[in-house]
Amino acid sequence: MRAIDHHAWTNRWRRWHPAEKLLPASGLLVLTLILPPLTTAPLVLAGAVLATVRGAGVPLPTLLSVLAAPTAFLVAGIPFLAVSVDFTQGFDLRLSNDGWWLALTTMLRALAAMSCLAFLILTTPLTDWITSLRRVGVPSGVVELILLTYRLIFVFVERALTGHQAQTARLGHSRVDRSVRSLGWLAGNLFQRALAQARRLEIGLLARGYTGELRVLAPPHVLSRTRLAAGLGLVGLVGAASGLLARGFS
Amino acid sequence: MTAPLLAARGLEYAYPGGVTALRGLDLNIERGWKLAVLGPNGSGKTTLLLHLNGACKPTRGEIRLDGQPARYDHRALNQWRRRVGLVLQEPDDQLFAATVEQDVSFGPLNLGLSEAEAAERVHEALTALRVTHLADRPTHALSFGQKKRVAIAGVLAMRPEILVLDEPTAGLDPHGVTHLLGVLQQLREAGTTLVFSTHDVDLAYGWADQVAVFHEGAVLCQGETAAVLGNRDVLHRARLRPPLLLEVTEMLGMGRDRLQPTPRSREAVLELLRERLGRPSSAAFMEPAPAHSRRGPLE
Repeated sequence: MRAIDHHAWTNRWRRWHPAEKLLPASGLLVLTLILPPLTTAPLVLAGAVLATVRGAGVPLPTLLSVLAAPTAFLVAGIPFLAVSVDFTQGFDLRLSNDGWWLALTTMLRALAAMSCLAFLILTTPLTDWITSLRRVGVPSGVVELILLTYRLIFVFVERALTGHQAQTARLGHSRVDRSVRSLGWLAGNLFQRALAQARRLEIGLLARGYTGELRVLAPPHVLSRTRLAAGLGLVGLVGAASGLLARGFS
Repeated sequence: MTAPLLAARGLEYAYPGGVTALRGLDLNIERGWKLAVLGPNGSGKTTLLLHLNGACKPTRGEIRLDGQPARYDHRALNQWRRRVGLVLQEPDDQLFAATVEQDVSFGPLNLGLSEAEAAERVHEALTALRVTHLADRPTHALSFGQKKRVAIAGVLAMRPEILVLDEPTAGLDPHGVTHLLGVLQQLREAGTTLVFSTHDVDLAYGWADQVAVFHEGAVLCQGETAAVLGNRDVLHRARLRPPLLLEVTEMLGMGRDRLQPTPRSREAVLELLRERLGRPSSAAFMEPAPAHSRRGPLE
């Protein structure tokens, strides 16, 4: 999660307006879902990977590690699609042709769709998305709460990690039963510290004139028509290429 | 005599749960001072600082702004906090927004400034703290020293008359401390009154022009730095050590000569030592030391 966050904040396309990234990503996603996967999915996958690695400059290993976990789930699910079980004549387990086809296309589709999402989360900080929520009508109180939570997650992850290290240094995790007890203490301690932190945060905010609204300068995003058009162009290109390929195959 | 800018009179405060932090505390803060609130951990320094901007309300006694007893209604508190800026010790308690620029803009926007004016203030504060290069970095990815500077910038952007800092040097490396003190000195020259808490006697001696020594929830003694920190009785009662520089200059026979001010900077004292030991000074070629420190004590 920290790696994702790091690249989201430091990649070359970070300062782009979120819509400029959302448009091509969702466009490609839609193509993946409505066009024949065999030709579309590889193109979408290639497009998303190239945009992430070549365009935004996120290292390929990072992208792969983001894709790894969902891919593992996907692979684990494949056999259940490829194999058909027939109970009508006792117990009959066989690989079916339809099953293989279904498994392959599902796999391709899912992978392509995931690469679009990976592109989004690796090129745009979470806070950009959260702030955009305000524009689509989510009450600002809710948005502020999510933003604060996002900010404080890092504080608490840091504390949880150091707390865990400190416990380990005193052999708090040397046996399973000790580990369970130590984790319980750690959780209790973090809870108390969270409350204390909230109180101090309030003091700090009040000192800067907090009156119930967390108003800050909006990130300076300028919507670029050129980039929007380029994004649309990419979607169109992939769609057209996939259509041509599909016709060539048939 | 005009009333002090900010003052505490007979301040008493007990935390919910019964721990008494302040016991009848008196303190004066005059315009233009650099005041160090000096005391060991747990002596009530932070609690006092929280009273200085109305974050805590005393159980007994009062805070006075320009001689007027402070009020705790919403409007009065807002006015108060415009004038007195408070920087907490732990920057993570203060930084809440996603990026540095956004966080620093919070105070100015709360002052009712327009976005353009707020952006101007943000730039000004980041420049003063020399962290303009961090402007669009996420706050959670900063180092401790960087967070500390950004936290100070966030308060500075409101242009307070009095800047109150809780242990500003705690956790900073020597370079960070030098940098921070340089920034604070600039603020001081621009007219900001500074109040900071510390347990570092040497820091207070070298940097503050007024010291209030804390002991068991009250100010044992407040006055000019040299006079207060030269008072062995006060230091002994507050369980503080005399400043190293003071001890060294006393050994060199400086402190007894009332006509010459005792040098309070590390460089000045080192220069004195070199003269005494008859070693050539390396620093003297680079930059002239302050006049008083170049004269030997025996002249």
